[in-house]
Amino acid sequence: MELTFKVNGHPERLELEGHETLLDVLRDDLNLTGTKEGCREGECGACTVLVNGRAVDSCIYAAMAAQDMEIETVEGLATSDGLNSLQNAFAESGGVQCGFCTPGFLMMLTALLDKYPHPDRVQVRDALSGNICRCTGYAQIEEAVERCIRQRTIE
Amino acid sequence: MLERFISVSSEEEALAQLNAHGEELQILAGGTDLMVQLQQSGQRTRRLLHIEKIPGLQKISYNGETGIGALCTHRQIVESTLLAHYRSLRQAAAQVGGWQTQMVGTLGGNICNASPAADTLPPLLVHDARITLVSQARGSRVVDLEKFLLGRRHTDRHHDELVSGITLSQPPERGSDIYIKVGRRSATEVAIVGLAACVALDEHRRLIEDVRLAVCSVGPVPKRLYEIENLIKGQEISDSLLDEAGEMLLELIEPIDDVRASKKYRAMVAPRVLREAITCCAQNASG
Ligand SMILES: Cc1cc2nc3c(=O)[nH]c(=O)nc-3n(C[C@H](O)[C@H](O)[C@H](O)COP(=O)(O)OP(=O)(O)OC[C@H]3O[C@@H](n4cnc5c(N)ncnc54)[C@H](O)[C@@H]3O)c2cc1C
Ligand code: FES
Ligand code: FES
Repeated sequence: MELTFKVNGHPERLELEGHETLLDVLRDDLNLTGTKEGCREGECGACTVLVNGRAVDSCIYAAMAAQDMEIETVEGLATSDGLNSLQNAFAESGGVQCGFCTPGFLMMLTALLDKYPHPDRVQVRDALSGNICRCTGYAQIEEAVERCIRQRTIE
Repeated sequence: MLERFISVSSEEEALAQLNAHGEELQILAGGTDLMVQLQQSGQRTRRLLHIEKIPGLQKISYNGETGIGALCTHRQIVESTLLAHYRSLRQAAAQVGGWQTQMVGTLGGNICNASPAADTLPPLLVHDARITLVSQARGSRVVDLEKFLLGRRHTDRHHDELVSGITLSQPPERGSDIYIKVGRRSATEVAIVGLAACVALDEHRRLIEDVRLAVCSVGPVPKRLYEIENLIKGQEISDSLLDEAGEMLLELIEPIDDVRASKKYRAMVAPRVLREAITCCAQNASG
């Protein structure tokens, strides 16, 4: 069966069997390996992507359910000028160590900041409760969010 | 060849598919339960009926009674102002996994999956939830949630039926409700014990006029605690009454040992949660 959707603005058309996950299609069929596979059961958030602006765990989302939708992955964040302000804030705050969880955090936070441009700390923690990082201890990630919000306010 | 993935965009289309192929179809809403189950079992043969995009089932409404479409997501419930008086339900929805799970996972899915640990079931039970099921052949029927839940992962849904929505009873006057979840990592961990209470006080705000209690994760099916409700109704809250209620609770539940907690721990914590829930509700209702 045919899946047509947009990924980071590009129209895509694929032939699928029907039960594939969105994660496998992104990584294996479209070679977008920025989205990571951690647990494959919705627990860790490493595979988070945006489906029409909603942050979903792509490892447990059916690819066919994304028919005619717009998908955004971490590959779509940077612009022609380089990293976006959230990505820069992660780098500057030390919010990236091994980096495995980072694409998932970036996508979850992109969804959060689109909806609530000035979240308080409780909202940030709440929104990130489905993203697991084993390196940073989260403090730097929270700091990155605050840095990004400050930067965006100045701009 | 029959398609393995059928996407429908209206209730009528869904019912026609279920009428024709109900036995072979597995309904897919947000997929946060089903996709995990399919991947773990490696099962690729079931045909999926994708209902997530039926707009008519995504609404929360009020006309004389509060109705929640089966496809409303947990996030939608958390943020709904129409559900302001159903705090326990919003508290439960806010604790179903992380945000990714809440943005996609639906109330209908939580009910139909019928997990012993389903967080929304205790609050729905204390608000006397009724489930509306529709089929093309027989029209619609309304079942009390309590009767709909037949056992662990087992419901009264027939193969050709779709759960279309849930209705709740009016919240009581001078009342307050709460859902308390005990889990190791509260947000994303499945409940070790979950308990919902709804308490209403009399005009003098002294005696308990009405009380409804329900639990999950301490038996095969989430259930109401009628015996304790009858013990407490008409009484004034006291330490001894709450002690008695806690002892009664241990008679009514069937805690087990599993990966998340021991039977012993569950039996120790459940009466404390009961005490805390009733006390909190009574306090809020008195103010
Ligand atoms: C990481 C993670 C954490 C989780 N944590 C929790 C938690 O803390 N507490 C909790 O209670 N749950 C939890 N869950 C389970 C799950 O998210 C919820 O049960 C959710 O509400 C299921 O909804 P869904 O739309 O995703 O259901 P689906 O997976 O699409 O469907 C679940 C079942 O219901 C059936 N179904 C769905 N909708 C209908 C309908 N309208 N009519 C008839 N049948 C239908 C499906 O056929 C399937 O059998 C968690 C899941 C994950 C992945
Ligand atoms: S890989 Fe999807 S949540 Fe872990
Ligand atoms: S940076 Fe290593 S897991 Fe988060």
